[in-house]
Amino acid sequence: MNNTTVQTAPRRVIDFVGKKKIFFGISLAIFAVGIICNIIFGTQLDIQFTGGTIAKYSYTGQVDEEKLKEVAQNATPDNQITFSISKNMLAGEAASDDDYIVSLQFTGTDSISFEQQKAVTEALNKAFPDNNFEYSESSSVESSMGWKFFLKCIVAVAIACALMVLYVTFRFKKIGGLAAGMMALVALFHDVLIIYFLYIILRMPLDGNFIAVVLMILGYSLNDTIVIYDRIRENRKTLGGRTPLGELTNISLTQVIRRTILTSISTLMAVACVFAVGIIFNLDSVTRFALPTMVGVVSGCYSSIAIATPLWVVWENRKKKK
Amino acid sequence: MKRVSKPVFFITAIIILALSYFAIFGFTTQYGDIKTTVIKGINDIRWGIDIKGGVEATFKPAGDVDATDEEMEAAKAVIETRLVSSNITDYELYADSASDRIIVRFPWKEDEKNFDPEAAIDEISATAQLTFRPGNSYASTDVDANGDVVYKTPTGDTEQILMEGSNVKSASPAIDQENTGNYCVALNLKDASVFKNITEQYLNQTVSIWMDDIMISAPTVSSVISNGEATITGTFTAQEATDLANKINAGALPFKLETASFGTISPTLGASSLTAMAYAGIAAVILIALLMIIVFRLPGFIATIALIGQVGLMIATVSGFFPVFSSFTMTLPGIAGLILSIGMGVDANIITAERIREELRGGKTIDMAIDKGSKNSFSAIFDGNVTVIIVALILLLVFGPTNILSGIFGQSTTGTIYAFGYTLLMGVISNFVMGVFASRLMLRSVSGFKPLRKKFLYGGVGK
Repeated sequence: MNNTTVQTAPRRVIDFVGKKKIFFGISLAIFAVGIICNIIFGTQLDIQFTGGTIAKYSYTGQVDEEKLKEVAQNATPDNQITFSISKNMLAGEAASDDDYIVSLQFTGTDSISFEQQKAVTEALNKAFPDNNFEYSESSSVESSMGWKFFLKCIVAVAIACALMVLYVTFRFKKIGGLAAGMMALVALFHDVLIIYFLYIILRMPLDGNFIAVVLMILGYSLNDTIVIYDRIRENRKTLGGRTPLGELTNISLTQVIRRTILTSISTLMAVACVFAVGIIFNLDSVTRFALPTMVGVVSGCYSSIAIATPLWVVWENRKKKK
Repeated sequence: MKRVSKPVFFITAIIILALSYFAIFGFTTQYGDIKTTVIKGINDIRWGIDIKGGVEATFKPAGDVDATDEEMEAAKAVIETRLVSSNITDYELYADSASDRIIVRFPWKEDEKNFDPEAAIDEISATAQLTFRPGNSYASTDVDANGDVVYKTPTGDTEQILMEGSNVKSASPAIDQENTGNYCVALNLKDASVFKNITEQYLNQTVSIWMDDIMISAPTVSSVISNGEATITGTFTAQEATDLANKINAGALPFKLETASFGTISPTLGASSLTAMAYAGIAAVILIALLMIIVFRLPGFIATIALIGQVGLMIATVSGFFPVFSSFTMTLPGIAGLILSIGMGVDANIITAERIREELRGGKTIDMAIDKGSKNSFSAIFDGNVTVIIVALILLLVFGPTNILSGIFGQSTTGTIYAFGYTLLMGVISNFVMGVFASRLMLRSVSGFKPLRKKFLYGGVGK
């Protein structure tokens, strides 16, 4: 490849690096809110991870809530029951205003036995013969299996992160590989925390979808960071070593900002379509997945520009001073 | 720049559109009532129970039994036979010998109205009834997940029971000593005299072996066996011999199965809402196409064709379009993988188009700009995609059948996240084929057309 042409800097260079204090401040403020919410609300883990049982029943008409709780409680005397009632708006069914879903959560980390679960169904039908109680869905998980799954997810994410940092370190040797890799990792942590706090603030329990969203955003965010690093690596070669690091980075960021924003908008639009369908058809599992993904896409785009890259500049400059 | 001849654009575009059409709509032929699926389309995708709804259950031996690996395999064989006999063919089944758990998942069947999951689970985990019966007559047949015929329901001769499974001590696959190369199943019996009587009475006749109401084997008695050590010979492969031995062992299991955990997911995303999801997909593609064409003009148009190709290729890899990839169970994490890959594919096109635009605005000719833009943008696309491949491979290895962490966490923690790794890997490969290779090929070809050689069309400043 002949490199006779000199790369010209864009006419207006945006000073990203100079605004790093504002960027870091925004992120820290979000974290502070997240931590406060976390302290107030606590962390909810889905029974997929902790073990336990949730059973849902659909019914029609009005039901005395106290009596409902009592009946269910008597059917499983060993477990404390918490329950919530919501309108039944299942897709594809002509649900009238009278259709409800009651969700019974049996506390305790062990799944209640299959026989107990059946006993609850029978007890409800006996006590409320006019309300058409119908067993709709349930999930019950043994606590030991749930924890294993959770730990395994975390280990898998950790291995994936370690290998990605190794790859970045290797490929970006010319711009201080390990530092670049570590700062990319900081940005990934940033995104994971943002998604985590979103779950906390919306009071959604962490479940398998959380892991899927985190994995997706890890890939997405790292890709964003790599595109920026790639431009810095290239500009370092063409603009030579004389340009100060901060300016070099600002030039690179200015060059790729259009791409970063366009890609994010495209992805955001795609996920927004899924989210809209989820809302229209009241598909809980879909909206619960699409919303964190949208936030993650924004966070992933932001963290590459505003966290990973400025941090890397700070790190490299400090190394030079020594 | 190496010129690419003009027809290349049309040939590539037609191939891409044809591939996508068949990947989405499939191809079926119809002779009377028999519909044959020649090419599998989007309707042949198997949806996971988190999307379509279904049943998931974990079984464990009742009491504090520490089951051996063979016993767990045998128990798994029982469940497998039961699933087939309940007409459930679309199941996932794992046995985890480390924690003595058997996990089964199956989705709701089409048009399922009055399915009682609690009854189904009861039925599946009930103790297996192994019987030896004279003759091999049957009243009905069925087809299992592999498309093989299953003979069901004893009738006539076979209504008589000669021996129960409790008399079988063990069954194991072995190599046939007389007929080298073939495998056989060795039976070890508790009470040799019962079996001696049977083999005397039915010498040179068929005695069939049944599990519940399914005939699992119908050997002919070739000699009187008095020492309680029998072999069932035939043209078995190693796998077939193992399967049969597992099924026979199941009838002699020393423990009952208990439901450790049980879950059903209502079919929230029934057929109608899967259609809705398809609309979401179409809307997303249209919006992205509009954005690409408005911002990048000609390269945006080509990127749209490449994007359609990428979507088609990804659907093809999950629907079983290519005979080498068997159809794959799509879960919500799988859809996450698809979205991320589409994002990566769009990104590859955006990076390239942006680079071409930049080079043009730097004063280069169209040919030079395409050349340099493609070259300079490749490293970013490559590095970004390779890191995603790393993630995908780790997930496949950890959550897939290889399960590299099974030593620590046991096998049963294999879950829906496998689908994420799979769609992501396939998506990134599709991205290199479509978003990088085909897209660039088409762009170079199109740039040879005189009316299209205007800088404005490539994002340059119009003159």
